[in-house]
Amino acid sequence: MTVHTPIETRSGGLPPWAIGLTVFVFLVGGVYLLSNLVGENPAFAIPGVSSSPASSGEPDPAVGEALVSQGGCASCHGPELSGSGQFPSLLGVNDGPVSENLQELGTAHPDEWIAIWIDGTTPETEGLDRGGMPAFGDQFSPEQIDSIVAYLKSL
Amino acid sequence: MTVNPKKLRPYDQPPKRRRTLIPDGPDSAATGFFIAAALWLAVAAGLGAMAIGMRLISVEFSFPLLFGFSFEFDQRRVEYAFVNATVFGWLTNAGFAAVAFMTPRLLGRRMAMEKLLMLGLLAWNMALAGGIASLYVFDLGPNAPLSALPWLIDGGLATGALIVTAGFLVTAVASLRTGYVSLWFAAVALLSLAGLTGLNALIGLLDLFLNLGELPVALASVFVERAISVLWLLGVAYAVLHYVVPRASGQPLASAGIGMLSFVTWLLLAPLAGLGTLLDQSVPFAITSLGNVTTMLLLVPAALTVINLVQTMQGRWTLLFGSGAVPFAAISLAFLLGASLLDAIGSLRSVRLLIDGTDWERGAFLWAAYGAFTFAAFALAEHALPRILRRAWGGGVLSGAQLWLAFGGATVAGLALMGGGMAEGSLLAQGTAPDAVGEQLLIYRATAFLGFGMVALAGLAFVVNLFLMYTSGDPVEYTVPASGSTSATAAAGH
Repeated sequence: MTVHTPIETRSGGLPPWAIGLTVFVFLVGGVYLLSNLVGENPAFAIPGVSSSPASSGEPDPAVGEALVSQGGCASCHGPELSGSGQFPSLLGVNDGPVSENLQELGTAHPDEWIAIWIDGTTPETEGLDRGGMPAFGDQFSPEQIDSIVAYLKSL
Repeated sequence: MTVNPKKLRPYDQPPKRRRTLIPDGPDSAATGFFIAAALWLAVAAGLGAMAIGMRLISVEFSFPLLFGFSFEFDQRRVEYAFVNATVFGWLTNAGFAAVAFMTPRLLGRRMAMEKLLMLGLLAWNMALAGGIASLYVFDLGPNAPLSALPWLIDGGLATGALIVTAGFLVTAVASLRTGYVSLWFAAVALLSLAGLTGLNALIGLLDLFLNLGELPVALASVFVERAISVLWLLGVAYAVLHYVVPRASGQPLASAGIGMLSFVTWLLLAPLAGLGTLLDQSVPFAITSLGNVTTMLLLVPAALTVINLVQTMQGRWTLLFGSGAVPFAAISLAFLLGASLLDAIGSLRSVRLLIDGTDWERGAFLWAAYGAFTFAAFALAEHALPRILRRAWGGGVLSGAQLWLAFGGATVAGLALMGGGMAEGSLLAQGTAPDAVGEQLLIYRATAFLGFGMVALAGLAFVVNLFLMYTSGDPVEYTVPASGSTSATAAAGH
C-alpha cells in the first residue's frame, strides 16, 4: 500500500498580522542597515593565529589603564600614581626616568626604556636594582605592556 | 481452511527472497541514516565533553606516526572534531534520514534510487570518519571547524550530499510546485549542503595549487560555516518541524500561508547571513552590515514558524506533557526562537566586538545544535522510528530521560558558556592577561562541562532507546511506501 498523507491545512491564506509583522520588521532592519553603511571593520582574527580577536593589536591607553589597575601599581606608586615613599611618581615619564638607577637605560633606549623596565625579563635590565618593582614580563604580553606605556605617557 | 505453517513442506513454501548486499527495501535509507546519526551522536557527545573538559584542564600531546606524520592532540583539534561530528555526523545524518522518511510519505511514492542512497550514506560517513581522524594529523590552517577537513574529504562529503540530493529531486521535483512546505525547505537545504561542501572542496583544492593566502581562506571558511548552519541545519529543522507537529498533534497545519511566508523570508535572508561573519578591514563595511541585518531578520521566519506551529498544537496541550514527538518539537521551537534571538543580539556590532572568539560563540552553537536542531531530530525520531522499525513504542523512562537530560543539559551548558563568553569579552577588553581570564572562567566552564555531560547522557539514552525499541518493541504493522508512483488513500498515523 502506498502511503500518501498530505498534511491538511486549516487556512491557506496569509493573515494580515503576519504580513504586517514581516513588513514592519523588514522596515526596521532596513533603517538599521541604512544607518550602518559607513565605517570600518576591525582586523579579522584568523583561527589558530590570533587568540585575542577583541584586541586590535595597537597600544590602547584604555587597556593600559585597566592593566595598571589590575597590576596593582597604585599599591606602591600611590593611588594617583604620583609617588609614595621610596617609589617614584609615574607622572611625567615622557620626560625620562627620574630614578638614578634608570638613567643609563633611559639614555640607551630613549623610546623603549619604560617598556623594558616594566617587562624586567630582558637582558637590558640584568643587574639593575629593581627596588622591589616586580618584572611584569611574565604576567603581561608585549602588546599589553605597550598599552600600559601608552597610558602612562597620556597621564 | 487454515494452514498450519509448521506442517508445510519446503516445496509448499514460497521461495524466500535473498537479502541483497545493499538493502533497497522501503525506508532502508532512512533506517541507515538514523542508525548512523545515533552512532555519531554518541561520538559527538564524547568529543564535546572532552572539548569542554579541555578548556578546564589543558592537555596536549603528540606522537609520531608512519611516513613522517604525527598524531597531534590539543584543544583546538578536539573542538574541531566535536563540531564536525555534531554537524556533519549527528545532525546531517539525521537530516538525511528526515528527508528519506518524509518525502515518500508526503508524495505517495517511494524514494527513488534507494540503493544509491545507501551508497551516499556510505560515502558520506566513510569520508567523515576519515576527515575527523585527519583533523588530528594534518595542519588545520586558518580554517573554521567545518572547513578544516582536507579537500579530498570534502569531495567525499559533497559526493554523498549530491547523491541524497539527486535521490530527493528525482522523487520530488515533479510535485514540488504543489508540494507541502517541508519539501520546499528540504529542497533548498539539500541543494545548499551539496553546494557548500563542494565549495569547501574547491577552496581547499585552489589553495593547494594557487596558495590563496591565510586571510581569504579564513574568510571563505567562516562564510561557508555560517551558511551551512543557516541554510542546511536550519532549513532541515524547519522542514522537520512543519512535518512532525501536525502529524504528532493530529491536527492540520494552522496556516499554509504563514508556512510559505516563513519559507520565502528564510530563503531571502539565509544566503546573505554568512556575510556578517566577514569582519575584516578588507571587506566593505556595508557588506558585513548587510550580513548582520539579515542575521537579525532571520528572527522573522523563526517567529512565524513558532506562531504557526503553536497554533497547530492548539487544543492538544496535554500532549506536551505526555510521551511522543510533541514535547520534543515544542522544546525545539523554544530553542529555535532563543537561538535566533541570540544570533540577532550577537550580530549587533558593539556586542560582536565583545564576544567574537569567546565562549559565547560556543554557547550559542550549543543552543542551536543541541537545542533547536537536536530536538527537531529527536522529535522526528520519536515519530519515525516506530514506523520505520515497525515496532510499537510508547516512549517510557528512556524517552523521558532523553527529553529532560538534553533539555536541562543544553540549557545549562549554553547559558554557562554564553555567560562565560560575556565575562571573557569584558576581561579581554580590560586588558586582563589570558591566564588570569582563564582562571576567572573556570566556574563557567565547569558548569558547562556538567551541562554537556547531561546532554551526553541524553544521547546515550537515545541510542539505548533505539536498540531496545528494535529488540523489545512489539511488532506492529505500519503502512510503508510501496513501489510505483500512484498515490493511494491516506494511511492514518503517517
